[in-house]
Amino acid sequence: MPNNLAIKTKGLTKQYGQAFAVNQLDLEIESGQFYGLLGPNGAGKTTTIHMLTTMTAATLGDAWIAGQRISDDPVAIRNTVGLVFQDSALDRTMSIDENLQFAAALYNLSPQQANARIDELLTVFGLQDKRKQKLLALSGGQRRAVDIARGVLHKPKVLFLDEPTIGLDLPNRRSIWRFVEKLRRDEGMTIFLTTHYLEEAAACDHVDFIQQGILQTGGTPTELVKQLAETILEIDTNKPENITAQLAPLFGQPIREEQQLSFKITASDVDFSELQKTLGNSVSSMQWRRPNLNDVYLWRFCAPDPTGKEL
Amino acid sequence: MSWRPVKAVVGREMSKLFRQKARLISAMVRPMIWLLVIGSGVGSMLQTQQQEGYLTFLVPGILAMTLLFAALLSALTLVYDKEFGVMRMMMIAPIAHYWIVLSKLIAATLTAMVQAILLLLLLVLLGLISIKIAVSLLPAAVLTAICCASIGGLIAVYSKSIDNFAVIMNFFIFPLFFLSGALYPVSQLPEFLRYVVLANPFSYGVDLLKHAVPNVSTDFSLLTDIVVLVVFSMIAIVIACWQFSRESVHEPLFHRSTKR
Repeated sequence: MPNNLAIKTKGLTKQYGQAFAVNQLDLEIESGQFYGLLGPNGAGKTTTIHMLTTMTAATLGDAWIAGQRISDDPVAIRNTVGLVFQDSALDRTMSIDENLQFAAALYNLSPQQANARIDELLTVFGLQDKRKQKLLALSGGQRRAVDIARGVLHKPKVLFLDEPTIGLDLPNRRSIWRFVEKLRRDEGMTIFLTTHYLEEAAACDHVDFIQQGILQTGGTPTELVKQLAETILEIDTNKPENITAQLAPLFGQPIREEQQLSFKITASDVDFSELQKTLGNSVSSMQWRRPNLNDVYLWRFCAPDPTGKEL
Repeated sequence: MSWRPVKAVVGREMSKLFRQKARLISAMVRPMIWLLVIGSGVGSMLQTQQQEGYLTFLVPGILAMTLLFAALLSALTLVYDKEFGVMRMMMIAPIAHYWIVLSKLIAATLTAMVQAILLLLLLVLLGLISIKIAVSLLPAAVLTAICCASIGGLIAVYSKSIDNFAVIMNFFIFPLFFLSGALYPVSQLPEFLRYVVLANPFSYGVDLLKHAVPNVSTDFSLLTDIVVLVVFSMIAIVIACWQFSRESVHEPLFHRSTKR
């Protein structure tokens, strides 16, 4: 395999009994990329990460991290990758310092190396004053930051982030992303991300989708948004059937959520103010806007039946 | 393989041991209650000249009990750490997974020895045993501690969660203790129970400790005790390491996160 690939998988499969958590996954991720794997709950994202970090064994297929086959030497692979788990792996009864010193020793860093690295990372995360504090005294965002610091203590070549900002409020999410961006810039890590917050995946170099264990090839977020539609039209109405019947021949079937309809429009010459007049009082609100990655995701995973049957 | 990760796992358990003062004190209170209550209670049924003998007879037994509780509970932190997610910090580290089990068992042995030494000090201070006996009990205590830690490791790698802690108490700790000769000489038990005692590896630890105390009757030879303890511990440790490494890669240890 070419050496500039950080991650490569070939037919990677994980089976639990009859169920396929991940089915025939083929991936090639270049070194230094910011890669996003998106998909609904239970689609196989975490299982994929666990296979790539040797936390669980694949049923079938092969995978390589930085050119090393993972089944050949799992211990060496764990030295190459960093993994930030979906929920915290830290010991709540210990202080930040004790947690990170413990993790650093597990990575065989000498106390001097560990101290220097912990200093460096806590400064990036703005937690240098809290080093001796108990983990319980920290906010959720700060704890998450310590989790990420733990994942990168040993300067991994590939960092896996499994829903790193889940459960955090917006300011905390933004600061987590600033840290990750800084780590990526300074240390040139390849990042493999899974997330539910799609606006966060917009910063990725490449995103793919996964559903029921099967990979659906994506592209760069900008391309995907561009391919989806020119405009997204959202209509609130108490007569969704009537509006659908009226507009579906023009724009195709909408995604319907109770009284809200969402059409994707590929034509660039639609006169929306004219359309608004035509629909008149049967709509309570109507807005049109540029699509984003959320729309790409929704149209992939919640796309309406083309014949108009309700999902 | 460097020793630093092993030292880190052991160090974490040690700092927890000394931080939780209440746990340490209660670990001292339990054997004292047994010694004084059972010792004088059961002793009162014996003739006067035998009473003191029974108290001496109980010393190896309650020392063994302290080792059993301490080592078993410490080995069960393998399950605690799994439950609270900390295990993942160790699983993702670049060490072979069986080293996690070995480190935990080293920690369990040390924890048991710390408590045993404290108990022996207490017994010496109370004038129940001489310093010489206390010292001669130590090597026997080390072997017994390793045996108890291996039993704990075996239970831990086959336990799914800490919910069954009461199960572990009732089905392992108490039977191991009561069916071991810690409280009564094995030779006086009914035949059926005697076989159970013979099959219990902990009995040989108790017996080895009895060898270190003069004038206490023993049930097996010194060599038998040592061979059984060493062979059992080695087999138990190998099985625990094998099962832990196997389970961790083939079954997700992370039920909560994979199901979310």
